[in-house]
Amino acid sequence: MGWILFKRALRDLKSGVARYIALSLLIIFSLFIVISLMASADTIIDSTVISDRELCCEDGEFSVFVPLRDEELAKITGRGVSIEKMFYVDYALNENQVLRAFKVRENINKISLIDGELPSADDEAVIERRYSEVNNVNVGDKLKIGEKEFTITGVGATPDYNTVIKKISDTVVDSRYFGLIFVTPKAYDELYDSGYSIASEEYYYAYLLNGVMTEDELKDILEDNKFDIEDIEDEYFKEYWKRMTERKDELLDGIDELKDGAEELADGADELRDGIEEFHDGMTELHDAVPDLTDGIEALDDGAAQLENGVNAYTYGVDRIESGASELSDGASSMADGTSKLNDGSGEFKNGVIGFAVTANTMAQSEDPYIAGIASGFVDPAFSLVSGYEQINSGIKEVNGGANSLSEGAYQLYDGIKSLNSNSAALRNGAAELHAGTSELLEGASEFTDGIDELYDGSKEIKDGSVDLAKGARELSDGVNELSDEANDLIDDVFDFDLSNLLVFINSKDNPRIDSAADDVQINYSASIIFGILLVVLFAYVISVFIVHTIDQESSVIGALYSMGLKRRTLTMSYVAVPVIVTFVSGVIGTLIAIFTPAGIPAQMQDSLSYFSMPKMDIIVKPFVLIYGLVIPPVTAFIVNVLVVRNRLIRTPLSLLHNEQKAVRGKEIKIKGLKFIPMFRIRQMLREIRAGLTVIFGLFMSLLVALLALNTSVYCSNVKDSYINLTNYEYMYNYKYPTEEVPEGGYEAVAESFKKEIYGYTFDITVLGITKDNPFFDTGDLPDNDSDVVLSSSVANKYNLSVGDIFTLSDDKGERLYAFRVARVFDYTATMFVFMDIDRCRDLFNEDDDYFNVVFSDHELDIDSGRLYSTVSKEEIARSSGIYVDMMGPMVTTMSVASAVIFLVVMYLMVKMMIDRSAFNISLVKVFGFRNREVRKMYLDGNFYIIVIGALISIPLCKLIMDYIYPRYLVCNVGVGVTAQYPPVLFALIFAVIIVLYLAINLVLSGRLRKINPAEILKNRE
Amino acid sequence: MYIETRDLKKSYGEGGSFVQVLKGVSIKVDKGEMCVIQGTSGSGKSTLLNCIGGLDVIDSGNVSVAGTLVEGLKGEKLSDYRRANLGFIFQFYNLVPNLTVRENIQVCEYLTKEPLNMDELIEVLGLTEHQYKFPSQLSGGQQQRCAIARALVKNPKVLLCDEPTGALDSKTSRDILVLLEKINKQYGTTMLIVTHNNSIKNMVDHVIYLKDGEIYKDYMNENKIPASELEDL
Repeated sequence: MGWILFKRALRDLKSGVARYIALSLLIIFSLFIVISLMASADTIIDSTVISDRELCCEDGEFSVFVPLRDEELAKITGRGVSIEKMFYVDYALNENQVLRAFKVRENINKISLIDGELPSADDEAVIERRYSEVNNVNVGDKLKIGEKEFTITGVGATPDYNTVIKKISDTVVDSRYFGLIFVTPKAYDELYDSGYSIASEEYYYAYLLNGVMTEDELKDILEDNKFDIEDIEDEYFKEYWKRMTERKDELLDGIDELKDGAEELADGADELRDGIEEFHDGMTELHDAVPDLTDGIEALDDGAAQLENGVNAYTYGVDRIESGASELSDGASSMADGTSKLNDGSGEFKNGVIGFAVTANTMAQSEDPYIAGIASGFVDPAFSLVSGYEQINSGIKEVNGGANSLSEGAYQLYDGIKSLNSNSAALRNGAAELHAGTSELLEGASEFTDGIDELYDGSKEIKDGSVDLAKGARELSDGVNELSDEANDLIDDVFDFDLSNLLVFINSKDNPRIDSAADDVQINYSASIIFGILLVVLFAYVISVFIVHTIDQESSVIGALYSMGLKRRTLTMSYVAVPVIVTFVSGVIGTLIAIFTPAGIPAQMQDSLSYFSMPKMDIIVKPFVLIYGLVIPPVTAFIVNVLVVRNRLIRTPLSLLHNEQKAVRGKEIKIKGLKFIPMFRIRQMLREIRAGLTVIFGLFMSLLVALLALNTSVYCSNVKDSYINLTNYEYMYNYKYPTEEVPEGGYEAVAESFKKEIYGYTFDITVLGITKDNPFFDTGDLPDNDSDVVLSSSVANKYNLSVGDIFTLSDDKGERLYAFRVARVFDYTATMFVFMDIDRCRDLFNEDDDYFNVVFSDHELDIDSGRLYSTVSKEEIARSSGIYVDMMGPMVTTMSVASAVIFLVVMYLMVKMMIDRSAFNISLVKVFGFRNREVRKMYLDGNFYIIVIGALISIPLCKLIMDYIYPRYLVCNVGVGVTAQYPPVLFALIFAVIIVLYLAINLVLSGRLRKINPAEILKNRE
Repeated sequence: MYIETRDLKKSYGEGGSFVQVLKGVSIKVDKGEMCVIQGTSGSGKSTLLNCIGGLDVIDSGNVSVAGTLVEGLKGEKLSDYRRANLGFIFQFYNLVPNLTVRENIQVCEYLTKEPLNMDELIEVLGLTEHQYKFPSQLSGGQQQRCAIARALVKNPKVLLCDEPTGALDSKTSRDILVLLEKINKQYGTTMLIVTHNNSIKNMVDHVIYLKDGEIYKDYMNENKIPASELEDL
């Protein structure tokens, strides 16, 4: 039975031959491309391994300032390491072309001849393959370098220049302008002596470790190699050397001064410590005395208080005394007045007494005895009285005199007391102020005490600090001594060239010139595997949709066969047979075409051969490729279709007999408020949801292919544009031996080359220190610190960096890491530059204040070529910028067309199948009287919305996927930081193309719709 | 009994659309019998046939065919049951469109280790001259003969025929019925024929009449007449 059903499958295949041929052609084309890519990648990868082995490809290479001496070489080769000179000199053939001349290699990186033979005479040369092809220089041709003419005896390739780039940091090969030439040793020397070189000779050596030494060991040995300055004859180097050694001496002097300064600092710190200790002792005493001082001030305050009280009492007493004195004065005055009056009265009394005495006397002498008797009794007392009076009067006079004196004295006393009292207020105030002052003093003393405590503590800390300081200063001094030693070493390192001869050391894995074709195609290989499977899945799924359609059509037959006892597995296999056959046959054809026709593997290899310089290679088809081409398609088709068909055949025989349609959720949705045709259209879309999803899947896959092509196109175009539009300088001169003076009209810069890895590839990044007035890079203000940098957007894009990020760069030898912070991103994608202020850059890399090694200019400068590593002109950049566009153009076109074809075929087949499925219904509606235009609206136009929705989802989704994949897997080996960002109009264009393609298919299928004859269909149904 | 159903019940749908198609049908058919199941549309005759053929799952009751209990069979065992015992003939033939007559028959030849002689069968069925034609190149009667040949080639114990003449004209119908009669006699094949054609009951041994899912009549036809003599087909 199996073969009978197989026959059925074959007839099914025959009946749908057109669609199966269409699908088969797509599969053949896809497999053809995929197998070609895979096998060509295998061929290139394996041939590279083989040729590397046969041609003794280097394990690595290094360059030196001066050629290694014999004993230095012997030190390395004596241990079994193979070394061969790869010295070269660049010569300008004409205005544009540069040829790099080598001696013919003997043991390492040997020349693989594609044509001809190695030079045997000194006027013969082998030309590098790509240069030969591009410039049509063939065996037998003459080629003149300077005055020396060479006959080309051979065309060849060497493994160390798989990618023929002038500098390791170059990203684009352009063999129109740069190539290699190999001549005899004698011819090489003669050529160099002729003086036509455009740069000084480069001393490169290639090595093979032969398993006897590690790379690090070799590097250590090379770094230990010194060279004798006297051996160097290059005048530019000598001049440079002189300047640099002077600079070194200056640095060394500076370090010595630093060392002395540190010593002095340590001594000073010791003295400071001693002084502080003394100060602290004094402080301690002061601190100890402060309590006594406080007590004294308290006593003083008490005394002042008492004094104030005393003064108050005193002034009060004085006041009282003044009052008393006043009264005394007044009393004395009164007394004086009284005594005066007394005196005066005593005068009158005297007169009276005298008068009385006289009278008495008179009377005593009176005749009247009586009177005389009486009077005589009075005469003596009277005279005694007078005499007494005299004494009294004298006494009164004395009293009066005394009273006057007393009065005067009392007055003087009063006056004096008054004067005294007049100072009492001041005295009192003074005493009060004194007391207040002592009180404040007391408070102050308290604060003083606190202050002294703090001061004491501070002093103690200062003392401790001073001890530490002294200790630290001593350590600093010791450290500076060590620093001095280290700095000396560092200076030795920095001025390594004066001691270590080694300039560049790079192993073959990190060398972008070596095995790069193999690296490049590895990406093709991986991408092919994935895309191949995805395409086969798509096509297998498309076929499965047809199979499902057939199953639906043959539902009752299947039910009948089930009824007879036929098993699902048997039927499943019979239905799966068609896709398996189609994919298998297509896979076989695609694989065979890829392997055995020039359009297959050789054509794919040509992409690499037209870019990389590779030896001859035989096509290698590995078993995996055969398995992929012959087994993967049918197996994928089998899996996809078994999954789909089994699900379809899982129904019961009765269900199949009745051709019951499985109710699918979503198809039962209620549609309200729409007119008939839109409603019908939605129903039709829901009914054909599987085909619709397949169309979207096809669209998605087509878009992936299309966007891969577009990304490539945009990327290459952006590379070209950025090179041309963003390169503002006309010339960039890279100095090997910088001068002191910047050439007039030039803008100096400091360029330091670093390495940074991403996605498994390491690229050169140049830290470029530029002056503020450099007109060629509009970076804005550059940060004024060493760690902040302005990033070119190429670096930002390549390494996914943005403002604020911190990133590290390692030096060429991988020994030092430098960390930078992104201060700003500058729109510059022509080169991977990291911008700094030139002075910061000089500081960072320990260069002189006037150091520079790059000069930019807007016109050609008169610089001796012997000083230069290289000169880059904008013209050269512009010339090579389009190489990617030229290279990738055919691929972009092929992929764009392929994607359109995939979309067209899938779309056509699916929509056609939708029409076939609905043929009976279409007949019916035609019978009902619907016009063709209405039928088209009902059955075809709904697909417009599927396409629109599919496109609106797929375009951004595919772009996101491609943007994720592209930098990580497809251009991860390209040292360019350009993005494949689309202008918005391109998205619109993609959408428009999809709609146009849809409309084209719609137009074709409208004709098919019109051709459906209702009578015939209905008759067949009957 | 060779074919026996006991209290066979079968319903479809639920809630408002619930329909009890078979309401406890019990029938018995002997080996080698030609039995007609008649009834109006919706009476449950095709459902009964499908339940016996294991195409439909019963709600309750028993179905036994040639000693095999059908109701418990699932998946592969059900296929094996059908493969070993049954042949089906449908109203619309259900031939594989892109296989020739002979190949369509070969599909079922594969299902048994002891098939009938293909050439003989083709000859018996009058398909010799059409054996390399595709179904689309045949008339309805020829297609049905091909379907019968396909059903017979594996020498089934029971032939289940669902409206075998439903899509045929009178003359072709008679030819087909004559053929079935001949096969019954020649191979002793037990036949269950579902039909709404009232004449066919006259040519068979056993007549079962279903009405609203129940046995309305079940009787043995004592006055069989040859198929060739049937009228009003």
